[in-house]
Amino acid sequence: MSGFFAIALLLAAPLLLAATGELLLERAGSIQIGLEGTMLIGAFTAFAAARSGAGPHAALLAAACAGLLAGAAFAAFAVAGRADPILVGTAWNLVAAGGTAFSYRLLAGATGSVLEVKALPPFAFGLPAAALAAFFVPAVLEVFLTRTRPGLALVAAGDNPLALEATGGSVVAVRTAASVAAGALGALGGALLVLTVSPTFVEGVTAGRGFLALALVVFARWKPLRLVPGALLVGGATALQYRLQAGGGTGIPYAVFLALPGLLALFALAAARGRGGAPKALGTPAP
Amino acid sequence: MTQESAARRFVVAAIALAAAAAALVGLTLLAGASPIDALHALAEGSVGSRAALGETLARATALVLTAIAASLAFRAGVLNIGLEGQFLAGAVAAAAVGPLLSGAPFVARAGLLVASALAGALWVLPAAYLEARRGVPEVLSTILLNLIAAAAVSGLVRGALQDPRGDYPQSRALPDAVRLAPLVSGSRATAAIVAAIALALLVTLVVEATPLGLKLRATGLAPAAARAIGLPGARLRLLAFSASGALAGLAGGLEVLAVTGRLYDPFSAGAGYTGIAAALLGGSHPLAAAASAMLFAALGAGSSAMQRDTGVPGALATIVPGVLVLTVLAARARLTQKRA
Repeated sequence: MSGFFAIALLLAAPLLLAATGELLLERAGSIQIGLEGTMLIGAFTAFAAARSGAGPHAALLAAACAGLLAGAAFAAFAVAGRADPILVGTAWNLVAAGGTAFSYRLLAGATGSVLEVKALPPFAFGLPAAALAAFFVPAVLEVFLTRTRPGLALVAAGDNPLALEATGGSVVAVRTAASVAAGALGALGGALLVLTVSPTFVEGVTAGRGFLALALVVFARWKPLRLVPGALLVGGATALQYRLQAGGGTGIPYAVFLALPGLLALFALAAARGRGGAPKALGTPAP
Repeated sequence: MTQESAARRFVVAAIALAAAAAALVGLTLLAGASPIDALHALAEGSVGSRAALGETLARATALVLTAIAASLAFRAGVLNIGLEGQFLAGAVAAAAVGPLLSGAPFVARAGLLVASALAGALWVLPAAYLEARRGVPEVLSTILLNLIAAAAVSGLVRGALQDPRGDYPQSRALPDAVRLAPLVSGSRATAAIVAAIALALLVTLVVEATPLGLKLRATGLAPAAARAIGLPGARLRLLAFSASGALAGLAGGLEVLAVTGRLYDPFSAGAGYTGIAAALLGGSHPLAAAASAMLFAALGAGSSAMQRDTGVPGALATIVPGVLVLTVLAARARLTQKRA
């Protein structure tokens, strides 16, 4: 496999994990605009764990655990607490960006030197197993949502919460569980960045990937399998940007390349015609 | 975004202040500093001297403007999360036209600020178009426009707008005659903060006490009812959205004119996002939002001094607004449920 495709896959994997988690949460009827913050928390946790002696796989696990807690915290405010999830998510990004920057400075001191961590070892095609596994997660979610009883309850929480309550289910419980799972996936996405693409942590290392993942969910019209082509497209655009940046002299303004993933996501949103396919109770409080 | 009773506001404010104080003390302890020393440095660095107060006021300009911009949009039911991008668009416009302007400083400044406000309003248009014509929620499109604006700034200061003198990723500096001078010596505060406060009062007046403001608020509170009594909902939303963008763009222009004198990368320390936090803390009332913005500006100025004096990381100034907003949102939701 050529270098370009390997890098495109490597860059698509964190997006795909985060977007799959977000899709799961949105199908349950809630929404986490602060996915960028959750990814940052995962990235920092993996970095901190690796710096304190954990191997890369243990660091990945530590990030997943931090993500579970982050998802539970979000649910406490936006699901059980019934505060507006969009507004909670906006504040969430501030807390996560500030919190990881604060913790990084405590960990690294004021030296400003780059602290490297050990990257995940390659498994096949020059890619680590975790990055490859990311491409199967949407399929697992598809099966879960369409073929299992808890999956159907989750879809009911997002489409018809009152019906779920009427049949004895708890919308708060389902959405909280979805938020916890989404937190873990988002954090894993962030961790994957630190443990593969750039084996160090810098403030804002996620560089807007959480926001791109939010757009991917709309582009996929809330269908898990459709996340894969979207993530590959954005991953490919980012890989192209890296390549052209290194090559230089294309005549196209540098700014356009930097903005390419964001522009692509914006066009994808426009092409998806907005909320077509959205869960009917998306963003509404639990009954 | 409903209006609250005075009693409820008081309870929410008390809970939020307690949470902010707890966060401040907890974070300083976590950083291994004495909370007393850290809070002393914070106070000294924000209001303790003429220079400190000047620093707070210099930082407040952008935050006050983005806070009233957010309030205006939120009250009309537009979730403009794109203030950061509109702020950057305004700064880009200022950096692009600033060095070209000649003539009387007053005219040059006016030209620069008009360009900034226009750029901010224009940066709203893709989101407004996608929302009106293709049903794309403005929350998502404005977030992506933030990313695109940040990427554009990063590219422009290394490309078309780069200062030909030197290799730094920054634009040419504004002429000294055009830049705003400090109001008093030994302080960084300029007339920009006076302009920001005047605009805050104006926006408050328009939103709270004019027929247009009533229409905007009606559209935000009950879109269907507003439409039923014949209000042009789409046009009112577009008006609030682009006015909000213009205010954020103006904030970016004033930042270049009064504080930095040029564009560089990364340019914004999150003014757009902190402005949203200020608006949420102020319940989207423009004046309360502006007051919250002043508080966050003091926190930002003070935390720089605190980091220097006590080693507590300055990122505290990003965490505390977030904690405040989360607490306020949770407390409001809880009180609303109790009443229902």
